[in-house]
Amino acid sequence: MGQLRFTFSDTISGYITSFNRTERSFSLRTSEGKEYTLFITPMTYARVTQNLDEGYIDATGRLSELLAEENLVYAYCIFYPKGNDYRIEVKSMIFPGDKAGTYRHEEPDWWIKQVRSIAECYLKWQFNYPETPIDFKNYRTFLHLAGGKKGDYLQETDTISRLVYGFASAYLLTGEDRFLEGAELGTEYLREHVRFYDNDEDLIYWYHGLQVSGDREQKLLTSEFGDDYDSLPMYEQIYALAGPTQTYRITGDPRIMFDIEKTIDLFEKYYKDNEKEGYFSHIDPITLDPRSPTLDKGNNRAKKNWNSVGDHAPAYLINLWLATGEEKYADFLEYTFDTIEEHFKDYDNSPFVQERFFEDWSHDKTWGWQQDNAVVGHNLKISWNLMRMNSLRPKDKYVSFARKIAELMPAAGSDRQRGGWYDVVARTLVPGEEYHRFTWHDRKAWWQQEQAILAYMILNGVLKEDEYLRHAREAAAFYNAHFLDHDDGAVYFNVLANGLPYLMGNERFKGSHSMSGYHSTELCYLSAVYTNLLITKVPMNFYFKPKPRGFKDNILRVSPDILPKGSVKLTAVEIDGKPYDNFNADALYVTLPIADKDLNVKVTITPV
Amino acid sequence: MIIETKVEGANVIATVSGDIDGKTAPQVQSELLAALQAGNRLLVDMNGVSYLSSAGLRMLLLLYRQVASKKGKVVLVSVSEEIRDTMSMTGFINFFTLAETREAGLAALA
Repeated sequence: MGQLRFTFSDTISGYITSFNRTERSFSLRTSEGKEYTLFITPMTYARVTQNLDEGYIDATGRLSELLAEENLVYAYCIFYPKGNDYRIEVKSMIFPGDKAGTYRHEEPDWWIKQVRSIAECYLKWQFNYPETPIDFKNYRTFLHLAGGKKGDYLQETDTISRLVYGFASAYLLTGEDRFLEGAELGTEYLREHVRFYDNDEDLIYWYHGLQVSGDREQKLLTSEFGDDYDSLPMYEQIYALAGPTQTYRITGDPRIMFDIEKTIDLFEKYYKDNEKEGYFSHIDPITLDPRSPTLDKGNNRAKKNWNSVGDHAPAYLINLWLATGEEKYADFLEYTFDTIEEHFKDYDNSPFVQERFFEDWSHDKTWGWQQDNAVVGHNLKISWNLMRMNSLRPKDKYVSFARKIAELMPAAGSDRQRGGWYDVVARTLVPGEEYHRFTWHDRKAWWQQEQAILAYMILNGVLKEDEYLRHAREAAAFYNAHFLDHDDGAVYFNVLANGLPYLMGNERFKGSHSMSGYHSTELCYLSAVYTNLLITKVPMNFYFKPKPRGFKDNILRVSPDILPKGSVKLTAVEIDGKPYDNFNADALYVTLPIADKDLNVKVTITPV
Repeated sequence: MIIETKVEGANVIATVSGDIDGKTAPQVQSELLAALQAGNRLLVDMNGVSYLSSAGLRMLLLLYRQVASKKGKVVLVSVSEEIRDTMSMTGFINFFTLAETREAGLAALA
């Protein structure tokens, strides 16, 4: 460090170990155990993490109170060369809690308020709601930083579906009709405009999207993305189901179930490899053949990848199982997790999973940008979802794999100096290297933080180990301190390594592919569930609006996620504002009354 | 499957005969795309096509996109009632200009 003889600024995060009031300095210990002494200047200011729609919470006058031992802090500092070392002076600080040792993201309604704010932003940006009605004709995939639309008329199926997922999740947590209206109208729009019902095969697939101009729309059958150009990537078909399935959990609309089942038929008939198992990543748009030579131009012929095998579970399949309790979906889930467990581990070579494969499961290190690079968040996503699956059909191998990832990832994929999780890194170190090389940059993407937060929350919630809680808190604290856009709403796409938002090019956008309110709202929904029901043990309310003759046998299943058996109970139900007692507390379902109208159902789930 | 193509001025005229299904659609696509090297206004005479499968529909959609990207136009001529119904049910019909006769089709291309 002494060799770098210039001033620079950077963030240090860590736990306070001492505070010297006379010197106006404090020491902290980073996540990996390094100690630093930092000096406070007359101009140092501090704030407490605020939620979306909250005002600034100044903490400058409370430093003596908040610089308490073991309190976590993010300190943005200037490093001044001094002798062979540096004097580190703090310019600003963020505390994740308003009392020492607390975390605001563990407040019972933190994530519920956040999802409301995010969903409100998208209603406003996309539809100018409530001034004008929700109309998905006005939906646009490209939204600028402040939600503005200009110069583009693209409506990508996945981004609509992801937004629908966000609205549905916001309804589940808040019961506010405007969000369900958004989810249902979006689902209807998808069905009317981007769904292809194949009469010959009796199955459904989804267009990549639409290019709209006034009353004219051009359907885009195949992917427009360079990675997947001129093919039907499974990834897009999977995510087309995300929003409708989350909406189905609420309404039981049989038309949605029809679409889901016929799309799964597509997966089983054309994407599945019945010989060597798993699902192919791409099929030819005309022949629907995964081995078609036409797929060579994208290097996608007869390939399998994380998305085609693993994304079923989080995108729609777990939610489909939650809504139906059908064994066939549990079987499908088990099949995908067994496949992941069997083929993705590569710990003799790398701390990261292998994500891309040839047909015979040999490793593909030649594909496009991925080569031999790791997506940190995919590893964490596997860990998180293995722990969900383990509560449905427990297997030691699921837990040991989830633990393995959780133990390896902090050193390999997180920033233990500043906090937060990296994006894409080289899977292996070459001799002499101590750090995995960053493929493009050392920025931190919002969705990768989500995977870390959910993985460590559920690991702690299920296994009750403090180390997992520490990582969950660090990840959630970093996200809430740095990713919330308090000026324009919703969340930033990327921040620099030091936590400052990065707002250039595609990363200024808020509606783009994969963003569009999906990961940010999924994070809110499941963080609320894991925090309240598994960690802090606080009851939660959830909201449903079943349609007449919607759910099979009038059974409304209300389990908020796959949680450990016996960890929660259904303790109260209201229908249209009145208490209702025909429910199964342990099996978490309500037997609905026969009705000829939609019912407003509020349920209370209580930790045991 | 018989596909005949010819170029008349700025127009590419294609006559297709036979069923367009999963087996033949790639061939039709390949030959029509090759013919489109000569122009961006395409007339497809489908008088001899009695069956168009979903693969055929997808092929037409991809063809449409190729032509649209070259700021061109596609006109389908003599499409059977049954195929019209299929295109209508699947929402494809709105993409294409349909004409009863080749003369009407050429007029629509102009």
